[in-house]
This record gives sequence, C-alpha cells and structure tokens, in this order.
Amino acid sequence: MRQDRFIARHDADWIALATWLDQADRRKRDAGADSGLHDSDVPQRYRRLCQQLALARRRGYSPMLIERLAQLVERTHTLMYRPPNPRWWRAVAFIASEFPAEVRAQRGWMLASGLLFFLPFFAMIAAVLWQPEIAHSVFDIDQLAQMEQMYDPSNDDRLGRDSGTDLMMFGHYIMNNISIGFRSFASGLLVGLGSVVVLVSNGVMIGTVAGHLTGIGYGAPFWRFVVGHSAPELLAIVISGGAGMRLGFALIAPGQLSRVAALIAAGRIGARLILGVFVMLLAAAFIEAFWSSIASLPDVVKYGSGAAIWLVVLGWLGFGGRGRVHAS
Amino acid sequence: MLDTEALHETPEGIALGLRAAGAAPRALAWLVDAMIRMGVFTALAMPISMLGEAGQGVLLILMFALMWIYPILFELLMDGQTPGKRVLGLRVVHANGTPVGFTASLIRNLMRTVDALPIGYAFGFASCVVDPQARRLGDLVAGTLVVHADRRRHDETIPAVPGYVPALSLPSEEQAVVVAFAERAAQLTEARQIELAGLLPALTQTRGAQAVQRLLGYANHIIGR
Repeated sequence: MRQDRFIARHDADWIALATWLDQADRRKRDAGADSGLHDSDVPQRYRRLCQQLALARRRGYSPMLIERLAQLVERTHTLMYRPPNPRWWRAVAFIASEFPAEVRAQRGWMLASGLLFFLPFFAMIAAVLWQPEIAHSVFDIDQLAQMEQMYDPSNDDRLGRDSGTDLMMFGHYIMNNISIGFRSFASGLLVGLGSVVVLVSNGVMIGTVAGHLTGIGYGAPFWRFVVGHSAPELLAIVISGGAGMRLGFALIAPGQLSRVAALIAAGRIGARLILGVFVMLLAAAFIEAFWSSIASLPDVVKYGSGAAIWLVVLGWLGFGGRGRVHAS
Repeated sequence: MLDTEALHETPEGIALGLRAAGAAPRALAWLVDAMIRMGVFTALAMPISMLGEAGQGVLLILMFALMWIYPILFELLMDGQTPGKRVLGLRVVHANGTPVGFTASLIRNLMRTVDALPIGYAFGFASCVVDPQARRLGDLVAGTLVVHADRRRHDETIPAVPGYVPALSLPSEEQAVVVAFAERAAQLTEARQIELAGLLPALTQTRGAQAVQRLLGYANHIIGR
C-alpha cells in the first residue's frame, strides 16, 4: 500500500487518539474537541496503532510518518503503564506492619549492623571508665569541655543543651539526625564500607561521651537526657546502616542476578527500610526536643518512660505485622 | 539513530526510543534547581528569623525539606520533572519509559549522597560519562534514567508537485531518503536544497532548481500521489 493511501485510511483514528490523549493530559474531559473515543476503547486502539507503526516501519514509510506514530505510541504507553499514584492511607499500614516485617526479613543484616554499632559503644564506655585519658584520643579538649558544659549537674534548668528553645533544637535534630540516617544508608553503595564507617564511628563517639561523662560524675543528667529518645534514635541508625550494608553486598555478591539488577532489588528493600527509619528519627527528634530536655521530672518518670519506649519500639519491630501475608 | 537512544521493547512488540540526556543538560537543570532552592531559602530566612530561636528551628526544618524532600516531591507531582528539569526539557523515567514513581524517586534522590562524592558530583559525573544511557549511580540503583522530554515536530508535509518517475529505480531504503528530503525541504534554504539535489545527477538527469523539483516530484510518486 502506498503511504498516502495508508494515511488516508487511518488518519482519523490517529487524530482521535491524539485528541483523547490531549484531554487525558489536561485531566478535563469537557475541555477541547471531543475525541469520540470511550476510555474503554483506548487499549484496543493502542494495540492497533502499534501494529500500524510496525507496518509503517516494515514498509519503509517516511521518517516523519513513523515519528508521528512512534510519538503517539509513546504517549499512550506512558499513560497505560504508568505506576499507580501513591496511596497515602497505606502509610499507616506500612509503618504498623510492613516495615517491621521487612526489618525481621533482613534480620541477619540488622544483627551485623547492631553489633558494629553496639560493640564499639559498650567497649568505649568500659575503656573510658577504666582509662579516662582514652577520651582525649577521640575528642579534643574543647569538644569535651563543651559536652561537660551541656551536662553540668549544676545547670538544672534544661538537660542536654547550652541554650536554645525546644523548637530550635527540634529543627536541629531533624536536619542533623535524619540526614545522618539517610547518609548511612546511601553510603552503603560504596561496597558497604560507608555504612560500616558511620556505624562504628557513631558507636565509638557516643560510647566515649557516655563513658567520659559517667566517669567525671556527670552521668545522672546525661543518662536522664538520653534514655527517652535512645530507643528510636539508635535503632534507626542501626536499621539504616544494615540497609546500606545490604546494598553494598548486592554490589559485591549479586548472586544469580546481574549487578545492576541486584542493586535495584536491594535498593527497593532499602527504600522501604529508610521510610521507617525516617519515621523513627522524626519520633526521636520530637521526644528529644520536647520530652528528654525537661529537667524537673523525677528519676522514676525519666527512666520509667525510657524503658517503656524501649519496650514499645522493640515490641513493634519484633511483632508488628506478624501473621499477615506480606503485601509486596 | 543517536547512540544515546535507549530502546525499550513494549509488551506490544514496539521498540520505544528513549533519548537519554547527557551530563551537561542535567548539570544545568541541577543548577537551576539549586538557585530556586537558595532563592526560596533566602526569601523566607529574613521573616522567619524574626521569630528568634524558634525561627532558627523552623529554618533548619525548611533546609531539611529543600535538601531532601524538594526533588522527590516535584518528581512525583510533575511526572518526573523538577522545576529545573522542566526548564531544560528533561524528565526522569523508569527503564520502561513511564514517569518515575515514589520508590524509585526516593532511592535516586537519597543516592545523591554517593553521587556527590568526593566533591562536586564527581562520582555521578564519572558514572554519567561511562554509562551508555548517562545514568548516575542513583539512577542505576533506582532503575531510572533521565530523558529529553520535548517532542519533535512532525507537521511538515511533502510539497505537492507533479509526479516524476526517474529512469532509475531505487531500493526502498533509498526511496525513504528521498521522501525524508522532501519532508524537510521547507526547513532548508533554497541554496541548500539545490546543493543537496545536485548530489544526485544520475537520478534527476538535470541540475539546479529543476533537480529539486524532480526530487520532490519523485517523492510525490513514491508516497502514491
């Protein structure tokens, strides 16, 4: 068939489909010319268009015609195969059950990540209590002085800060802590080393501070401050570090997949974990800014609430979503 | 065919051409976004900092949002285009050509941390230059690529002139070249048309403006007018 007859026979179909696409783009069916196409006709029209494009290519019709058909195909394809819009009401179900289930599914990585963080943490507490000058090989004298000032027991107004309102510190914790959480996952792409470095260095630093302040007798304000938000904050760092190591391992040992395919699979798991990490760090920042800093509460309330939060977080991660079919 | 064109075969058996965008337009789009973000921050910094220390907290939250949430939000709301990408005519798509979704957008934007290493997006640039589809590391992990979204025009028609049947008959690929010339003739200057037509004396049996007319006539004959 000559090109002109081919166009004359099908041009009306193509124009109708293009009009329908224009209307779909504007998301207003009443505006513009009526395409005369029902939504339910479109898949069939699309398959026919694909066949016409294949014919046009096979018969060597002009590049302009092929281009025109290819663009129509591309626009319809984009519309028909686009990902579903995110459903925000699913966020609650995700946090309540899918995220804890994903954490448990990756329990080997979580265990490794937890050891990489908590071993240096407790080792440094013990080391600094035993040999206090070790603290000076981790921090310089100014940094130590600043921390001593923050947790000075004679400063009975606010815990864990020199100055600043609750809201200011909330912004500060969001910017710093959540960025650290994101980075400790993303840096796992460097064959896992980035995550390992973040985990170990945070374990060493936090352990040194805890050991030092306890050693010089400032332990009470320090532990009273950190006990409330420690559960969501430390476990979130452990989870994002574990997700990062999982990502790095996909690069080292992709198994039966190609490296890129293994990375994409690990990236999807990591994205699910990091969403939960985001929520945990948000909660931690909230507790840290508005609850942990209250100095006037008695020890029973401080340590009691801290223990309760640990129990809730561990129970959520350990049992959330059990007995449900995995959604993905 | 351009060497940056990535082909994706659809379930209907059609090869979609995705025109991957290189490092230069992507860096420009990033720059436009960076300027927008800095503009928003400086515009809001003055009034918010009047609130004192609490205002500093709000500013830090704003900075967090501009840094991490801005690209994800716009890629989701504007079918894979941040404002900078829209200015440059770029779009983030999945490997199958559909606009980027939430998970992929989250991953590719978190991975900027690694692409930005060790300084000034050096890793991302290296990956962009090496990869045939110009993907940075975040795109590799997310399974996405950045393509040119602008649509090429295709409304040129072949000028209607009396048909001409040359003595020589051409195979179909070469006939397609003649038709392509006729479709683009309107975009070319007259001198260039004559110059191009002059390359085929055996086909047109003449020179100058008449050779152009004969090529156009041959194109009309090929498409069946």
